[in-house]
Amino acid sequence: MSGTTIPPLALSVEHLGVTLAGRDGPLPVLEDVSFGVPAGRTLALIGESGCGKSMAALALMGLLPEGLRCDTGAIRLLGEDLAVAPPARLRALRGSTLSMIFQEPMTALNPVFTVGEQIAETLRLHQGLDAAAARAGALEMLRKVEIPAAAQRLDAYPHQLSGGMRQRVMIAIALACRPRLLIADEPTTALDVTVQAQIFDLLKTLQRETGTAILLISHDLHAVADIADEVAVLYAGTCVETGPASRVLAAPEHPYTRALLACSPRLRLGAAAAGPAPDLLEVPGMVPPLGQRGPGCRFAPRCELAGADCNHPPPLRPAGAGRAAACWRVGDTTLEAVA
Amino acid sequence: MGGNRSTLPAAPAKPASPAREMLRHFLRHPAGMAGFLILLAVALASLAGPGLYGVDPADMAAAPFEPPGPEVPLGADYLGRDVLAGLLIGGRASLSVGLAAALISVLIGVAVGALAGWFGGWVDRVLMKVTEFFQVLPSLLFAMVLVTLFGASLGIITFAIGVVSWPGVARLTRAEYLRVRGLDYVRAAVAGGGRPHYLILRVVLPNALPPIIVAAALAIGVAILFEGGLSFLGLGDPNVISWGMMLGQNRTYLLDAWWAVTFPGAAIFFTVLAVSLLGEGLNDAINPRLRKRG
Repeated sequence: MSGTTIPPLALSVEHLGVTLAGRDGPLPVLEDVSFGVPAGRTLALIGESGCGKSMAALALMGLLPEGLRCDTGAIRLLGEDLAVAPPARLRALRGSTLSMIFQEPMTALNPVFTVGEQIAETLRLHQGLDAAAARAGALEMLRKVEIPAAAQRLDAYPHQLSGGMRQRVMIAIALACRPRLLIADEPTTALDVTVQAQIFDLLKTLQRETGTAILLISHDLHAVADIADEVAVLYAGTCVETGPASRVLAAPEHPYTRALLACSPRLRLGAAAAGPAPDLLEVPGMVPPLGQRGPGCRFAPRCELAGADCNHPPPLRPAGAGRAAACWRVGDTTLEAVA
Repeated sequence: MGGNRSTLPAAPAKPASPAREMLRHFLRHPAGMAGFLILLAVALASLAGPGLYGVDPADMAAAPFEPPGPEVPLGADYLGRDVLAGLLIGGRASLSVGLAAALISVLIGVAVGALAGWFGGWVDRVLMKVTEFFQVLPSLLFAMVLVTLFGASLGIITFAIGVVSWPGVARLTRAEYLRVRGLDYVRAAVAGGGRPHYLILRVVLPNALPPIIVAAALAIGVAILFEGGLSFLGLGDPNVISWGMMLGQNRTYLLDAWWAVTFPGAAIFFTVLAVSLLGEGLNDAINPRLRKRG
């Protein structure tokens, strides 16, 4: 993925800050988060639960839950700042230029309408198609997401489809209006492994076809390695490392990224399967809850490399070849010795 | 769940819509069907009956207090009017007031409850205060006040009954909207760029509807009782014969002519019972958890 010219950014998030209104003033949820998704490419947001991945996605959609607000930074979608866009404009963009698929395909489809009606509804809403054209468009989308016997499935209700098929329908709805950015919030977490692979393959195929940029939120680091071009690692509401996926995952710079990768099991086959399986590692401690984040590096309490200088928050600094990391140890020669 | 069935080549035979499933279950519900058939019979009798029977209900067809016999099958009242003819024509007023008043109360209730439940915040607080205001008023008294103020025509009576009976529907609708609003498919529809009116009417309403349908069926029964009560108290439309009016006018002669009171009372009783049974049948057909038990 590297070496080639990087296409212009479809989405650029700059110094995004989201706060939760609390009794003692606003609590920071996301602080100074910056990342960019090039057009037609995939950026994966990774990090433990509670790091703010889903909040970042909801902030992009303008759908933050009550009490949360995005008060600093810019969210530029094709140059337009969504953070200051009026609600009507956001509504027009949602579902057409910017769409989202959710984690739970079992509950994300309306049970009282057929899947065909639900895909057609999006087309009618955003492209003003009449009923017949929208139905034809819905059928085409069902074929695109590789649902067998699409013509019959058009009139099926969600409860008549399996989880994998429902997620395909969700993808069909999300991509029906050819969005420039698709946010996929853990799209395969609720599915079984073979279906997960199919869904990721489908997303890749459709991305090649439509040139949609994808912001993928996932816990599945193998899938991330497979599908993502870029990676942004979030920890406790801050962005700790960004860069091309292949390099970040192969040689992480930030101690948190390294710890996260060490927790991921590897399937060992053939000769590699011989011998005892290595113990899975864990990152000791837990993500600091809201309002209990220290003043310095957020990861310092759990970091084995932490020192006195970690009391000052490290900025996201360039670390070569399109990468950046927020750690005082990056570039430190002692690091390689420890790793 | 989450089954690996996406490669299944076979298409589903024929997707059964949820509505068709409900209908199928309703048709098998004995109480619901009994209620439905009684109502159907009452409706047919009051629509076609007066024409077929051919006796003017306002006419002095027999001597006053004539007991049931070959000349007047259900007897005559204190003015010698045919009770059967009155029953047949009175069904029109009772049923139409019942249906129309229930419709009014459901329309107001659903509108108020949907807005309160969907928007929450101050909209919810204001609308719920208004609802509580209507709820704490003694509804029969309030309806009587409205009828006395605006005149005892069938239209005003229908309106008055509708206006006093919507708070229950509003609270039910609000609760359903609060429940459905947080579900994933509503969030997905918001993320799909739906406008508020689309979300409220097309996404949430169909999913909130089942309990509202049941409440609407029961509201018909309540409205029929209400109309009967108002007419009994002499506040009914004097130009329209209704069951309640027959009851009210003949109540002082109960000991002399039981038939003039008993038959209209029985008509109200069975109609309201039928509506309740229908509501129960709908409830069981719509609520899948009750369905399995039965």
